[in-house]
Amino acid sequence: MRDGAAIAGLGMTELGRVYGRSPRRLAADAVRAAVADAGLGLGELDGLLVSHGLGGSPGIEVADTLGLRDLRLLTQMNSFGATAGAMLSYAAMSVLSGAATTVACVFADAPLKPKQSAGSAYHRDAAEWYGFGGMTAALGLRSVNAFYALAAQRHMARYGTTSEQLGAIAVSTRDWASRNPLAQMRDPITLQDHQDSRWVAEPLHLLDCCLVSNGAIAVVVTSADRAADLARPPVHLWGWGQGHPGHRKERGSAFGLTTGAATSGPIAMKMAGITPADVTQAQLYDCYTYTVLVSLEDYGFCGKGEGGAFAASGALGPDGALPTNTGGGQLSGYYMWGMTPVSEAVIQARGDGGDRQAPSDMILVSGNGGILDHHATLVLSPHRKGA
Amino acid sequence: MDIGILRRDGRTDGFFDAAARDRLAVRRCPSCTAAAPDAAAFLPPDATSCPDCGTEDLDWADVSGEATLVTWTILHGRPAEDGTTPPPALIALVELAEGPWLYARLDDLAPSDLREGLALRARFVHPPEGEAYPLFIPA
Repeated sequence: MRDGAAIAGLGMTELGRVYGRSPRRLAADAVRAAVADAGLGLGELDGLLVSHGLGGSPGIEVADTLGLRDLRLLTQMNSFGATAGAMLSYAAMSVLSGAATTVACVFADAPLKPKQSAGSAYHRDAAEWYGFGGMTAALGLRSVNAFYALAAQRHMARYGTTSEQLGAIAVSTRDWASRNPLAQMRDPITLQDHQDSRWVAEPLHLLDCCLVSNGAIAVVVTSADRAADLARPPVHLWGWGQGHPGHRKERGSAFGLTTGAATSGPIAMKMAGITPADVTQAQLYDCYTYTVLVSLEDYGFCGKGEGGAFAASGALGPDGALPTNTGGGQLSGYYMWGMTPVSEAVIQARGDGGDRQAPSDMILVSGNGGILDHHATLVLSPHRKGA
Repeated sequence: MDIGILRRDGRTDGFFDAAARDRLAVRRCPSCTAAAPDAAAFLPPDATSCPDCGTEDLDWADVSGEATLVTWTILHGRPAEDGTTPPPALIALVELAEGPWLYARLDDLAPSDLREGLALRARFVHPPEGEAYPLFIPA
């Protein structure tokens, strides 16, 4: 049987309001944990891929921090929220090509400072603004929230999507989080709580928006043959794909209506030899409830424009047809960019979900970056492909 | 509304030259426009090259200032210490009649007025200090 690639180790630092450790230190701690989880030693790593949040750190100096020697692969990567999926796919291709045998992929970030609100971690303000771009910020386009609000509003105007349908995603995601001891926000919420939460950028309420977290998550990718002999059950990489539509801001643009998931999804599912009907759970990048809604459509779990009704039907929750963001996602769990959905997928594929374990035979993992500009999709399974 | 002070950046000065005389200007690719005069190749004011032919030699071109509403968000200010809340800011993506989209601030409109395709036009504000800038109002 042809060899494949698999995730053999998962390492997570404390996540959330974790202070006193730099992103570099957090990254190193997560890599150590992932390697130990796999039953390997640090010296057995021969590849390291590093990604960071908006702070620009850490980079490849993590290898030095860890004392890694004789690496065959060492790169800092950035495709924003799509980076985690991209890193895992490049790690898999490196293993399959023989360029490296054992590759750690890590994301670390520490935007939160003590005594600072989560929102202010990314806030920009100034008395003077420069150039046309500065004018756009001066007029009010100062946060990612506003850009996603523009996207969500366009979907609402075009397809009749409602705030209550977005709220259904917030509620089901919190329901999952209440069962996850790792989640930052575990108190159940109602649709009324969502509707009553303050506007961040209308049509987005506070409970439509993700958390901000400090911390790091790493995984170790190696060959399926080797993973079978290591400490934990392998999580097999069946497929991967990326989509970067390059929406031009001009007449005819699909901004807010269709995302790169419409490209990355079919590529990954074709590679895996599956269709959306084969997916038993989804881990979708949820910087906002709206991101989940439009991703569900673009992956083909429902028709275009039907994401709102699909979410409101209860499909995404613990008793639903497509358990989605079973760890509480980034809305209620923890905000580690694309590593949030990857980490929950690994936990689920291993059957380690405890009170939140969902059917995990075929897991679709989605990353989203920029303002719906960059997508990466993974298809993961506890089963070996072709077995 | 107080938006702070706008300064030039040396790369988009043509936009503010036009705004000073109450005109909206965008970039235009001269070579693509010459190749297809009926489909003038207008680009956003912050474009640095033509995505079709690659040239960095772009013109500034006055456009009509007419636009339609693509999508919008309503930004609600936080209450001040005296308990008053500033009026919400209506922020939009507008499609210029010539094709490019601009991020824009709307004025003379209530949230209940907003709908996809609403006809708009640019009106310029000339603050006492700093550059002039457009707002978009009902056409």
